[in-house]
Amino acid sequence: MLRETLERRLPAAVLAGQNISRQRARAALAALGIVIGVFAVVTLGTLGTALQVAATAELGGLGNQVIISPAEEATIESLNSRDIQAIERAAAGRGTVIPLQTTGATARSGESQTATQVYGTTTPRTLFNAGNSIPEFHRQGAIVGAEVASSLGVQQGSQVQVGPNSYRVIAILETETGISPIQGNSAIILPPNAFTTSGYSQVVIKANSGGDAAAIATGVRSRLNARQSRVSVFSLQSVLTQIEEFFALLNGFLLAIASISLVVAGVSIFNIMLMTISERRGEIGVLRAVGIHRQQVLRTLVIESTLLGIAGGLVGAVGGVITVIAIGMNTELPLSAIFVPMNAVIVFVGFGFGVVVALVGGLYPAYKAAWEPPVESLRG
Amino acid sequence: MSKRIFETSTAQETPIELDEVTKSYASGMGQVIALDSVDFHVDAGEVVAVIGPSGSGKSTMLNMLGLLDEPTEGQILLHGDPATGLSPAEKTTARRETIGFVFQDFHLIPTLTAVGNVRLPTAFLPDDATARAEDLLTRVGLGDRLRHTPDELSGGQKQRVAIARSLINEPDVLLADEPTGNLDSETGAAVLQEIRAIADEGVGVVAVTHDDLVREYTDRTVELVDGVLTDAT
Repeated sequence: MLRETLERRLPAAVLAGQNISRQRARAALAALGIVIGVFAVVTLGTLGTALQVAATAELGGLGNQVIISPAEEATIESLNSRDIQAIERAAAGRGTVIPLQTTGATARSGESQTATQVYGTTTPRTLFNAGNSIPEFHRQGAIVGAEVASSLGVQQGSQVQVGPNSYRVIAILETETGISPIQGNSAIILPPNAFTTSGYSQVVIKANSGGDAAAIATGVRSRLNARQSRVSVFSLQSVLTQIEEFFALLNGFLLAIASISLVVAGVSIFNIMLMTISERRGEIGVLRAVGIHRQQVLRTLVIESTLLGIAGGLVGAVGGVITVIAIGMNTELPLSAIFVPMNAVIVFVGFGFGVVVALVGGLYPAYKAAWEPPVESLRG
Repeated sequence: MSKRIFETSTAQETPIELDEVTKSYASGMGQVIALDSVDFHVDAGEVVAVIGPSGSGKSTMLNMLGLLDEPTEGQILLHGDPATGLSPAEKTTARRETIGFVFQDFHLIPTLTAVGNVRLPTAFLPDDATARAEDLLTRVGLGDRLRHTPDELSGGQKQRVAIARSLINEPDVLLADEPTGNLDSETGAAVLQEIRAIADEGVGVVAVTHDDLVREYTDRTVELVDGVLTDAT
């Protein structure tokens, strides 16, 4: 018989399992605490990570951007070509420099009109996205943001009037979902010769990495602001770091709340094991009398509470994973942000904590029962 | 008769003895002397009944013989060697190797089958005692109840399972606390016959009892009154 083979191989585990089956309802209640605790840890922990991953994906590009504009306290209103050269030297090998002219204007097409941000650049491809329809070098025509295009009802090939001049629409930008200081949705991008002024109102640098962005920012400051504050250098790297710290704090907080429920589960296991061993005092006394050692009794009882933890932990972890996947499938939280290695770690650690909590909860009751002199236990 | 299926140590004629054993407790009313300089021994193959009014120290004496309790004074000798200073682990091992217990209320584990209960003392030992447990159960007449759990057995059957359990480790001494206390007289007699048969194979038996029936199966009867042991006739 399988059961008898098991009894021989793993006597403590089999005795423990049989003891649990004696009080199924009570065991289920004890395990339920662990189920809830592990469920809370798994759902809150993995959702927190998923939010962080999704937000980082959304904001990730930001950290690589450096935006340089004339300093407020400086007398200049635009950056000249020497400034651009200095910036390009600072950014050499670390990223792409895109000088931008900026102004606001009303765009019209037929009867409809809308206020837009107008950018002037020869290299819009680096900043804006419209498939292959954006030319390598922007010489003529207007590239229209998705929102502007829909409110004016224009499409590729239409005419759009910006200020006094009319331009042919050469491309419509794809709708941008990410957050960026240079927003394409409500913008029109014209070639620089459309602007009457010659200087640039800002320079956007797309660095190759966050580290490069920081290095470029430092380089530009030392080249242009050495004698007087000529430009202001704005990098989102530090903001991103703050956002990441915020998420880390949020996740820590969520996990702490979830852990409280696990601790409560441990207390309930402790309680139920105390109850169980006080009911089984006589039996434990018999075990000791017939020559079962204290450590063997202890092991049996600790395995009993640990089994509750394993069962509860499994149910909680599986339930948590299913719930989080369901949330991912029914909200905008992308599944790709859920299925990250960190979340696998959280699931296993959550399960592990559940088991450990149950083990610890059973330790003292088991010790108390096993170390009681058998003559006392037998008195029942 | 039944076949001999267990070995007993025959090297020692006196597996266990009490040498001037005194046990006293502190209680609300001062010092209570449960055992007063008790000298006692049981020989291999001998059945000794311990009688006496309740509260006279019978259970305390049985606990001493079973290495479950420490004497205040005096010594417990196991095969002539003092067992008084042994560590809890050593005492546990000594109990497993030397002593079998039969309790008044059987103390079977309700989740285990008859075989499982009989095998219980060997649960943590490497060798499989299943076959032996089945032999012992067959010997006590429960060959057809091997896979029954205690709640499927009558009182007499339970006590026979308990006796089989007490024999699984080939003890030198069988300690029985009111073995017939919860049984009707007919069942009790059957159980006592079994105990007598065990003694005839060389096991020393000490039975604490109120039951006069028990004395029909004993070689010797001692009486405890207020912790003092005397030979009864």
